[in-house]
Amino acid sequence: MTPERFSRMLTEFFGDAAVFADKGGAQWEVHAPRDRCLPLLSFCRDHSFVHLAFISAVDWIAENQIELVYHLWSYEHRVHLLVKTRLEREKPWMFTAHRIWGHAQPYEQEIHEMMGVFFIGNPDLSPLFLHNWKDKPPLRKDFDSRAYSLKAYTLEGLGLVPPADKEDANVPS
Amino acid sequence: MEDAVLFNLRDEKQSAWENVLNYFRKRSMWMLYYCTGCGAIELPPSMTSRYDMERFGMGPMATPRQADLLLITGYLSVKTLKRVIYSYEQMQDPKYVVGFGSCPINGGIYWDAYPVINHLELFLPVDMSIAGCMPRPQAVLDAFQKLMDEIQAGKAVGYKRYRRHYDWYKRNQDAVLARTQAVLEPWEDPFSDPALVESLWKDAPAEIRERQEERHDA
Amino acid sequence: MYLPDGYTTLEKLREAGEYAEYDLFFGPNHPGMHGNFGYVLTMVGTEIVKVRPNAGMLHRGFEKAMENKPWAANLSLIPRVCVPDPDPNEVAYCQAVEKLLGCEVPMRARFLRSITLELSRLGSLYMGMGGLAGALGHYSTMYLMMIERDLILDRFEALTGARVYHIYNIPGGVRNDAPEGWLESVSRLLDHIEAQMPEYDRLLYENHVVWKRLEGLAPISAQEAMESGITGPALRACGVKADIRVDAPYAAYDQVQVDIPTSGGGDALARAVQVRLDFAESVRILRRLIAAIPEGPVHADLGNLAKLRVPAGDAYSKVESSKGEFGYYVVSDGGEKPYRVSVRGPSLPAGLYLCHKHLPGMKIDDVAAWMMSFAICPPDIDR
Repeated sequence: MTPERFSRMLTEFFGDAAVFADKGGAQWEVHAPRDRCLPLLSFCRDHSFVHLAFISAVDWIAENQIELVYHLWSYEHRVHLLVKTRLEREKPWMFTAHRIWGHAQPYEQEIHEMMGVFFIGNPDLSPLFLHNWKDKPPLRKDFDSRAYSLKAYTLEGLGLVPPADKEDANVPS
Repeated sequence: MEDAVLFNLRDEKQSAWENVLNYFRKRSMWMLYYCTGCGAIELPPSMTSRYDMERFGMGPMATPRQADLLLITGYLSVKTLKRVIYSYEQMQDPKYVVGFGSCPINGGIYWDAYPVINHLELFLPVDMSIAGCMPRPQAVLDAFQKLMDEIQAGKAVGYKRYRRHYDWYKRNQDAVLARTQAVLEPWEDPFSDPALVESLWKDAPAEIRERQEERHDA
Repeated sequence: MYLPDGYTTLEKLREAGEYAEYDLFFGPNHPGMHGNFGYVLTMVGTEIVKVRPNAGMLHRGFEKAMENKPWAANLSLIPRVCVPDPDPNEVAYCQAVEKLLGCEVPMRARFLRSITLELSRLGSLYMGMGGLAGALGHYSTMYLMMIERDLILDRFEALTGARVYHIYNIPGGVRNDAPEGWLESVSRLLDHIEAQMPEYDRLLYENHVVWKRLEGLAPISAQEAMESGITGPALRACGVKADIRVDAPYAAYDQVQVDIPTSGGGDALARAVQVRLDFAESVRILRRLIAAIPEGPVHADLGNLAKLRVPAGDAYSKVESSKGEFGYYVVSDGGEKPYRVSVRGPSLPAGLYLCHKHLPGMKIDDVAAWMMSFAICPPDIDR
């Protein structure tokens, strides 16, 4: 399977919606809008790209978009394919790929928690890693991790005072 | 209180009876085998025959109820802190806490990370800290020797401190674990509105909607 | 507790409403759990009905922290993503950065990278075999494996200065050359390992208790494994000849011969045997690497690494670790710090997805063995 042949197959099935690029080093990428993304993933899965490595989300704050990247690998042709799609940043949502690959469900759950992207049809979008989290999704670019840590985990940040009996030198202040 | 004879809460100076007890306690410390973080990988080398912790009377123990020593091996995320506090409160007195590595001291390499706490001594009384990232088995055994000396001298009394200042520790723990408000700025998830989610389903192209629905029933 | 007339099966009891479901916390504070991770198991008797993973106790916010540090400074964070097997992470990150920079790594550096990768793999496979033995209650073998792993850590200490987290790979090559006599000491270590391998076989693999416990446990077909994101030894145990060192060669693996032994079968026993086959193959590859290593520089000249600037673009680089595929997707906007680093760990598909398919119906005794057979190591789930 050469890049040209795959590109021709994509044009045949998806027309102008799928934009193909060969990045070199056996890495290809395809850009697609959101509504053609799931049929494109199905198409790739049926044409030898059976392995979904993981799903990444990138916050392009300057362009006001969040990009989802699906990493696929073909055991047969030994090529890595990145399927990319862009979502609007205020209300990012996408259909779940859980019906195509079952293990997309925990990856989408993580992206929901870390970036705030909503996946329609995902059976479980409850918090996975964070405990009692009330702030912004932490992987967004406008979330300041250092400020959060200094405010949340030091006494000054918590607004607390040392204990009353100061003669006990062992208790930290 | 009635147990002041054996268990001196008000005084740090220990009675003669405690002196004798500490002699035996320090030679039979069982550590709770809860691998809380990356430092735990240097525990099996310390326990096995190359560095051999067991010649000091130390060994691993599965349940908190029968353990004397709680090792915080490495960093503590907020979720782990909750479980560590449960385990610590289930342990019987006297009990000792040792912080492994630089993360319980000042946050270590994760000092600016959002899920990791920076100072363990705000939440639990720490009797001994071992520097390093991560500490070698020789450093671990050296620290245990020092801990044994401190137990004999009556200085490793974190459990008494915890009892005396329980309110202070509890207040700190609740400030981190039972948070009710956002720390930096509140976040409203736009998709918590069911009407919006319904509209997204409705606006989906027909083929995706059918496939989603049929698989939803399957 | 009373027993009805004769013994009756769990199903009949459940139908009759004699057994109630209860929740059991397997981990995080549990000696059979490999690390700080938990499953909340809904049980009937000793049989599991439903499972809910409780992840996040090892979450450190790596991906966020890496956006705030310069490119080369991230190398102090990166080995900590996987605790038993840290070197594949360093190599994957450096390779992704080198792909964006377009720089060529000198041949000696590539060989040294492969040698440290294989040593790290041996150390992690020791922990894998030891953990499997421990999960089955075979503690003598577990302690023996930990001691043997210490000999490998000694070699790492002589080369890099640290036992566990080496920070040896940098963009462009490796930090320093091997000291005098280091390669000979590694060869001596391999002699020792080869002499000890019959002992490991006798203890673990010729032990009929291990066979009885693992045979037929959680079988998985090759097609299902490939479609569930399973990589590494668990995939090879289904008979699929897939190994990133051969499929997408990196470092010096295209310079030496790499075979892919597979144990067919797909069940937990095949995965345990696969660990042993990978171990033997790793020893052979190390011998070939040491015999073929050339002289030369050990890193490319990239100027002041503290002020490294990487051109804009994105790249994905993956390596074959002892547990499976470790991948780093690096996005750069041309600055001094990464724009986004996304980490793929090999344990998430098995730990968070396959648990829902395999654990219901299993007895509680087998959960620890199931976890060890899939090499589920929680730090790279939580990152």
